[in-house]
Amino acid sequence: MALFILRRLGVMLLTVLCLTFIVFFLTNLQPNLEKLAKTQGNMRMTDEQVEIWLSNRGYDRPVFVRYGEWLGVLPGWVGETAQGDPVGRCIAEGMPPLAEGEAPPAFCGVLQGHWGYSTVFRAPVSEIIATRLGLTGILMFWVMVVMVPMALLIGVLAGMREGSRTDRSLSTVSIVSTATPEYVSGVILIAVFASSAVGLRWFNGTATSAMDDVTFRNFTLPVITIALYGMGYIARMTRASMTEVMTAQYIRTARLKGVSFRNIVMKHALRNALIAPFTVIMLQFPWLLNGVVIVETLFNYKGFGWTLVQAAGNNDIELLLAVSVVSVIVVLVTQLISDIGYVYLNPRIRIS
Amino acid sequence: MTKSIDTGRCVHPGAEMYAREHLAGKLSRREFLTRATALGVTAAGAYALIGAPQPAQAQQTPVQGGTLRIQTSVKAMKEPRAFDWSEVGNQGRGFLEYLVEYQRDGSFRGMLLESWEANEDATQYVLNVRPGATWNNGDPFTAEDVARNIRGWCDTSMEDNSMAARMTGLIDPETGQAREGSVEVIDDLTVRLNLASPDISVIANMSDYPAAITHSSYDGGDLYDHGIGTGPFRPVEIEVGVRAVIERHPDHTWWGTEVYGGPYLDRIEFIDYGTDPASWLAAAESGEVDLLYESVGDFIDILDGIGWTRTETITAATLVFRTNQIAEVEGRVPYADVDVRKALALAVDNETVLELGYSDRGTVAENHHVCPIHPAYADIGPAPFDPDAAKEMMDATEFADFEHELITVDDEWERNSGAAVAAQIRDAGINVRHTVLPGATFWNDWTKYPFSATSWNHRPLGVQVMALAYRSGEAWNESAYASPEFDALMAEALSIADADARREVMAQIQQKMRDDAVIIQPYWRSLYNHHNGNVVNAEKHPSHEFHLYKFGFAS
Repeated sequence: MALFILRRLGVMLLTVLCLTFIVFFLTNLQPNLEKLAKTQGNMRMTDEQVEIWLSNRGYDRPVFVRYGEWLGVLPGWVGETAQGDPVGRCIAEGMPPLAEGEAPPAFCGVLQGHWGYSTVFRAPVSEIIATRLGLTGILMFWVMVVMVPMALLIGVLAGMREGSRTDRSLSTVSIVSTATPEYVSGVILIAVFASSAVGLRWFNGTATSAMDDVTFRNFTLPVITIALYGMGYIARMTRASMTEVMTAQYIRTARLKGVSFRNIVMKHALRNALIAPFTVIMLQFPWLLNGVVIVETLFNYKGFGWTLVQAAGNNDIELLLAVSVVSVIVVLVTQLISDIGYVYLNPRIRIS
Repeated sequence: MTKSIDTGRCVHPGAEMYAREHLAGKLSRREFLTRATALGVTAAGAYALIGAPQPAQAQQTPVQGGTLRIQTSVKAMKEPRAFDWSEVGNQGRGFLEYLVEYQRDGSFRGMLLESWEANEDATQYVLNVRPGATWNNGDPFTAEDVARNIRGWCDTSMEDNSMAARMTGLIDPETGQAREGSVEVIDDLTVRLNLASPDISVIANMSDYPAAITHSSYDGGDLYDHGIGTGPFRPVEIEVGVRAVIERHPDHTWWGTEVYGGPYLDRIEFIDYGTDPASWLAAAESGEVDLLYESVGDFIDILDGIGWTRTETITAATLVFRTNQIAEVEGRVPYADVDVRKALALAVDNETVLELGYSDRGTVAENHHVCPIHPAYADIGPAPFDPDAAKEMMDATEFADFEHELITVDDEWERNSGAAVAAQIRDAGINVRHTVLPGATFWNDWTKYPFSATSWNHRPLGVQVMALAYRSGEAWNESAYASPEFDALMAEALSIADADARREVMAQIQQKMRDDAVIIQPYWRSLYNHHNGNVVNAEKHPSHEFHLYKFGFAS
């Protein structure tokens, strides 16, 4: 088991390295750097000004060296401005202030705990990621609270009696909800429940105020939008697993013994039927990260997904790298948990 | 009000002449006000010259207190001289003030300057500093502060200083700094500017958003961290892309309270709802904001429909379709040929673009970037429209089979206007393709696109945009238009303080712009915003300015 976890962690590290290098390479292509210079400096900069801007900030050196600096395995670059002031990676904005006479550290990369400075938001990357991830955490929590019980309920009800009218109608509902992407369901929900076009106006069509204070009014639509999409999928999995269990030998035995249908479902079928959905639910986490990109942008909720869009749209190199690292960790950790959890739920499976 | 009239100093002779012209019906009231106040006459004085009562500033005095929430983009604060968005200017406007403020009616009024006078040929300006103004750290505001800021504007060594192009008369071309003796401090409250050549736009330029006045201790960096200014508010927090907050400064006595009244609000929040107007609508409908920065396109009617109050201002803001005369496309330089440019312009009927692209919310323009509300506008008739001649002209060039590519940003009205222009060129029988790029990609290299659209803000004088945008080698000249004749005409226009005399030159300039087919300029935009009905004095400003000290709630 320990070996298994270790191996998984090794894979995770390797994935993070590969992915961040790809992101680093792509964001450091010349046109992207030019864009960065123009958005940070001035929209109307000339080519020479762009070059000066880039070299003043150390962007004109080989990409491998700079990736090494970002990692913290190579010493950060140092240079001088036109006025003769020292500049460099380790004296840039966002670094802890130095005491009088103290020399800046030679290494300042991720290994040393410095995630860098966001060029769009003008703040340390670690700070931004922490705030934004926290906001997305709140959103995800409420999505899970709504989605998981609803999905299990629908799945179990549908799977109890395969082929019945309940099964058919609930299956249709879950297929429709899964087949509707968030950018469709979100817009429809806003139009119906939040706009004057229909006139219901039960909820807010934006979740911006939910960043300060979550209320039923401002948070319902984004939560429902994500929950609807994920719900159908989990419900289908639960139903499949439930129908399979319901045809098992021990269920027939229990029936023949005269156990009530209610007891069969609650005591015998349910526990065995929930193993498969558990994996699916765990796998929903990485997928949720992806789903929040759309929903957070649509509802103007400034969480992790919105940060990803802003970082990518503005070629904010260090922020984008941190976002990638966090995403990889979230995906692989949830997979690890689901693998380990599976073993505990189903003793017949052994890992190794 | 400023004192130049009250103290019995004489009124600038030019202003008196304008007054006579206005009374003779030669000048509209707006033109008269812009010109007279630019020469140092106060708004009240200008109204008095033409015997008109000054309109009441506010229909209603706002109540004291309250938190105003404004939907607007929240962008990173930088050094004011490098400001490139009106929104950035607005974020700082609560605590950083300007020497002069441009009013909605086209006139200028003194803020940190109490008054100013220009000499007869506009080569010398005497600036009278506002007495009693202080910085919010307690320092008095003096002529030295004014002089330091003006010298700062003249610093061409700063890579993104856009004020330098506006202050050319003060700059020594050899050193790239303010010329020796060009900015003179006469006494604590008086500064004199000595220009190398006449410049009529000095006062107007001082009201532009990069001209915010900063404290001597400011040395670049985030203005919200620095926080020292003369205005009645102070910065609280800024999170780029999310929101910025300012609040009334508790222990700073603002000079303006007794002069102009206000401020009324306790706290102002600028909240970013992205670039999609549908989100702004959602914010309005859910009551999360009180005031929108700007309402655009179809959303103007929708916002009317949900019961919000619309305000409108007529402006010289515009969308210009320009070719880049040095851009290479597949090894050829299509737009160096004046006939190609002319043919494109001939194929477009500006009125149709206004109707289809901007829902008739503006006035038809005439392909020369001078607006009828500009003082020296010369009427040279509407732009010619003749698709058959256009096709013929294009066929006569070597680019008869060339497929033009018109690139616009994915922004509702710019996209629609681009589609209308492209459709008309296509109708004329010329090959054209319309490419719409998302904002993130478009701004990447937009100044170099061979054929694209640029949106220009309103500026008070016609010569201001012309000087920035079409003189050879100017930083903002993305048409790459380089014509020595045009430059000479501009230099002449910029030295004629008298707008009537200037009009003759302007007529030549306008004709030259059209003959050289530098731009296709379909319309002048009216600008709109909406508020929830309870906001006072927040009418849309032609230059997108928020005069925050005037804002307040009706109840």
